[in-house]
Amino acid sequence: MTNKEIQMPRLISPLVLALIGLILFGDGAYIQAKAWLAQVLLERAFDRSIATGQAVKPWSWADTWPVARIEVKRIGASAIVLEGASGQALAFGPGHVQQTADAGERGIAVYAAHRDTHFRFLRNVAMGDVIDVTRSDSRHFRYRADSSAVVRFDASGIDPAAQGFELILATCWPFDAVTSGPERYILHATLIGADR
Amino acid sequence: MNTYDTADSDEHPMLSRLIKLGLFLLAQGIAVMLMAFVALLVSFGTSWSATTEQAGLLQPGDARSGTLLLKDDGAITEAIRLGIDVDITVSGPTLRARVTQVFRNPSKDWVEATYVYPLATGGAVDTLKMVVGDRVIIGDIKERQQARVIYEEARRAGQKAALTEQERPNIFTNSVANIGPGETVLVQIEYQEPVHQSGNEYSLRLPLVVGPRYNPAPIVQSVEFRKDGSGWGAATSDPVPDRDRISPPVLDPAKNAPVNPTSITVRLKAGFALGEVKSHHHNVKVESPDNTTRVVTLADGAVPADRDFELSWKPAAAKAPSVGLFSERVGDADYLLAFVTPPSAEQATQKPLPREVVFVIDNSGSMGGTSIVQAKASLLYALGRLQPDDRFNVIRFDDTMDVLFPASVPADAAHVREATSFVRALQARGGTEMVPAMRAALTDKLADSSMVRQVVFLTDGAIGNEQELFEAITTMRGRSRVFMVGIGSAPNTYLMTRAAELGRGAFTHIGSVEQVEERMRGLFAKLENPAVTGLTAKFSEATADVTPAIIPDVYRDEPLVLAAKLDKLAGSLEIKGRVGDRPWSVTLPLQDAAEGKGLSKLWAKRKIGDAEVARTLREMTPEDADKTILALALDHQIVTRLTSLVAVDKTPSRPEGAPLKLSELPINLPAGWDFEKVFGERPQVPAQLRERHADARNQPTTRRPTPAAPDAIRLPKTATSAELKMIAGLILIVLALILFVFNRRRPLLTDAA
Repeated sequence: MTNKEIQMPRLISPLVLALIGLILFGDGAYIQAKAWLAQVLLERAFDRSIATGQAVKPWSWADTWPVARIEVKRIGASAIVLEGASGQALAFGPGHVQQTADAGERGIAVYAAHRDTHFRFLRNVAMGDVIDVTRSDSRHFRYRADSSAVVRFDASGIDPAAQGFELILATCWPFDAVTSGPERYILHATLIGADR
Repeated sequence: MNTYDTADSDEHPMLSRLIKLGLFLLAQGIAVMLMAFVALLVSFGTSWSATTEQAGLLQPGDARSGTLLLKDDGAITEAIRLGIDVDITVSGPTLRARVTQVFRNPSKDWVEATYVYPLATGGAVDTLKMVVGDRVIIGDIKERQQARVIYEEARRAGQKAALTEQERPNIFTNSVANIGPGETVLVQIEYQEPVHQSGNEYSLRLPLVVGPRYNPAPIVQSVEFRKDGSGWGAATSDPVPDRDRISPPVLDPAKNAPVNPTSITVRLKAGFALGEVKSHHHNVKVESPDNTTRVVTLADGAVPADRDFELSWKPAAAKAPSVGLFSERVGDADYLLAFVTPPSAEQATQKPLPREVVFVIDNSGSMGGTSIVQAKASLLYALGRLQPDDRFNVIRFDDTMDVLFPASVPADAAHVREATSFVRALQARGGTEMVPAMRAALTDKLADSSMVRQVVFLTDGAIGNEQELFEAITTMRGRSRVFMVGIGSAPNTYLMTRAAELGRGAFTHIGSVEQVEERMRGLFAKLENPAVTGLTAKFSEATADVTPAIIPDVYRDEPLVLAAKLDKLAGSLEIKGRVGDRPWSVTLPLQDAAEGKGLSKLWAKRKIGDAEVARTLREMTPEDADKTILALALDHQIVTRLTSLVAVDKTPSRPEGAPLKLSELPINLPAGWDFEKVFGERPQVPAQLRERHADARNQPTTRRPTPAAPDAIRLPKTATSAELKMIAGLILIVLALILFVFNRRRPLLTDAA
């Protein structure tokens, strides 16, 4: 009996294990890669939207389109927001929750994104930070973060009929958890200025 | 060979191991990146599967069905089981039904059960029995409030009690208190109802399920002033103040097996030799002991209570008797029931008047499934029957409304074609705002009195604000006549019959696609032929209290049904009227009346119906109407809006301190309905409930007219499983590495040994 013959079956179990591990890791990496690549494409589409003044789809078969860019200049964070907050849209970028106001309009605009991709930076946003929102019609609004809260997803306390000019960025809480839960972190900001 | 290996390894043991490890890690890293990007490129366009589980955004509408379903799940696993047995005896013109509901409590708790169920609109409920073990407790008729109090007291005292209440003339609730763990309680109600006759055909309808009702949001406020004349009052703004009482939990047929098994037996004693006996929506076994009697039972044993049972029978003779006269003596009064079918004027002798027909079709969510198919087929048939000199219009409504033409147009080929394609494109969705559609249909824009104005209204009637619709018809009917076409497996017959009565038209029911043509032909016979008008009834000797007091017009093939309370059974009854433009009369000698059963109850029930109509028409003040109804109901032991039956078993059964749980029995969705369409599209329901609790008396002015917005924004799910997967993947890879290294070492060790 040779050494090779003994080694072959013994190699199978670690190989299978490694393969499963690879697939899992690849799957996770794929989510991250998709989020990153989509933002690159979205950035391009958004620039074109601003230039042309029309909604431009980031790729031909997309079911959503960029509506705004949010930036927190202090920490150098930026993301392109998509229309709608379905699971599909959220894979590519923060989503503008339907039935909430547009940024800069009266009411509350709610943007939601994944805590482990596009809104990873949310934990670093401090009260008083300025959040810049550029809409696809190239209008620009400045908000200041003034409060944060942790709420349940179905009891957000966000009143869709609020009368102020407000912005909410929402993501999952706690930031470091690896499984999803019912709690959400919401960062509230109020409009402080608008310019073209 | 082995020795060589060992020797090689021995030369640079650490170095070669490290190189191998490094190479392996490098390969792993490359593989990971490759895998990731291959996956990315391959599936970027074709599938979002990696993140579909993130689709967690809840629409406000989901909340309603979600909570409802949760409640249902609880109800199924924990709550009371119900079985229903219906035994109907038809004797000539009337039927008596005994409905037995078996409440079984499989749980370990003491339970109070409530079950919302429908009954025939004309049915007079007069008996309630509760069977506990071998004891039978007979219920008493009481004023509604009083009955409630008796029931509540018994409930608190731990005694078994049953209560039958009327929510609508065709919706009742049975409550049973203190059903012990593992116990079974039987609740039996009995009612009396006239048999329906149309042309040559007699029929009975046994509704088995209450279709979920659309309850419009409160917008219009009505004001009730205090009775002390102080001028202060409260604004009641909810069109359906009792929405909770008529909305039992409904099971999604896709997720639950049907509940509430029902068995039905009909003993048919028609009083004449029987021809065809037919059940329209259920398979039945028919036995014939003799030629005037049939015993009809369900072929499949018990069926789920999810559609109406409809049985019709025809006489063996070619023509049904055109006259029927029945009497019953109760106390010192005689009660009379008369059926007369007027002769039909032949069409040849009369050219039908040109007509203006407004078709209204309900395309709300409750019409989803087979109902909308039936409604569309019926309307297309009707459009095909129009004559070129007729005028017509089409209105469709859900919670929105479209009127096809600004005013009625001539029924020429082009207009009919346009209407046909409009109807074909209809989809069932949304709520049921019936009142605006009825108002639009009754608006008489042409005001051309040379034409007969008819409104044909196709709906399942699944609304909770019936009274608002009746008021709209009453105030706006003008010279229009309203013909109701009930669609689906469980239409709201109370709404249909009352709306047709107030609109001086007729009610046709279509329960399946197969019935469309036959029933619509019948309806068109009514629309196209002159009605029998100006009807009066006169008794030659007896003083009579006749109902209906003002006899409505009778359409082709429909019998005139009269009930009367007489001081003596003598002389004759003369009925006069006009068929088209010719006078017609018939005289019935009262001595020849056959003996009938339960006629006094039918008379009282019709009188109560008259009082309710008079209340709607503002011919009686609400107080007077209520007084009349209460007196009749208590006299004749009938359950009404104001009276209930209550039965209490005086022996306490629930030990003191043991808790009592409430169980609302779920009902099936009527057959052919689409659960999603009914419950998936009612986003405003939670808002309405909140509106209702926020009492109008406090801040009537701050009410927002459209409470369409959800309570609060729901936030989507915002975490991916990327990290979890990557961590798990890394752990597996490390494990594999350890195993790999371990396996490499083992042979070396054994070899060394």
